[in-house]
Amino acid sequence: MDKRPIKIICFAGLRKYFGNEITVLVESGASYSRVIDELKAINPEAADVLSSCRIAVNEEFMSLDEPLKTENILFLIPPSSGG
Amino acid sequence: MLFSGEVRDNNKGREVTHLEYEAYEPMANKMITEIVDEAISRFKLNQAVCVHRLGQVDISGCAVVVITGAGHRKEAYDANSYIIDRVKNVVPIWKHEFFADGTSEWGQNCDCVTHKDEHEPDHHHEKAE
Repeated sequence: MDKRPIKIICFAGLRKYFGNEITVLVESGASYSRVIDELKAINPEAADVLSSCRIAVNEEFMSLDEPLKTENILFLIPPSSGG
Repeated sequence: MLFSGEVRDNNKGREVTHLEYEAYEPMANKMITEIVDEAISRFKLNQAVCVHRLGQVDISGCAVVVITGAGHRKEAYDANSYIIDRVKNVVPIWKHEFFADGTSEWGQNCDCVTHKDEHEPDHHHEKAE
């Protein structure tokens, strides 16, 4: 199946593992959680925090079991720790 | 009612020198506005404001302010607590703690999740715990 590049913007503690951004290749029709699985494969040390991350597109959180739409950029949101 | 969240000089027994906050700003601003608007309607407030600092905040410095105004104090206090809990739980803001021994750590899940059931389910934190 065709794969396409998805750019992922990283914040806070995630940058230690992936830098400010990283691009992964995912199959057309894959879910958002597939992107997280790809990142776990790239850096298994990040697996714990990745399991708590959410994905945002256009400033909205996406449901991880939904298929990717046409977006090329995802924002990977680690657990909030403000306040 | 004004709540000022101020930086403590220790966390879990470790001496803290200062904090640095980072946010995904456009989304954080949008979500804080939504949370405040929801609280105004839900608690029938006359006014509400929440502002969170970014960048370095020193010990005793104010990191976040929540102001709620209502005709009765119960609504103001309840709404204030609701707003700060929601902001800490769901808004993409992150705390980087710097310790006296020269090390630093990104904050883990916020410590206010035990109150989440009073409000609405937060699946993210239920999973994270």
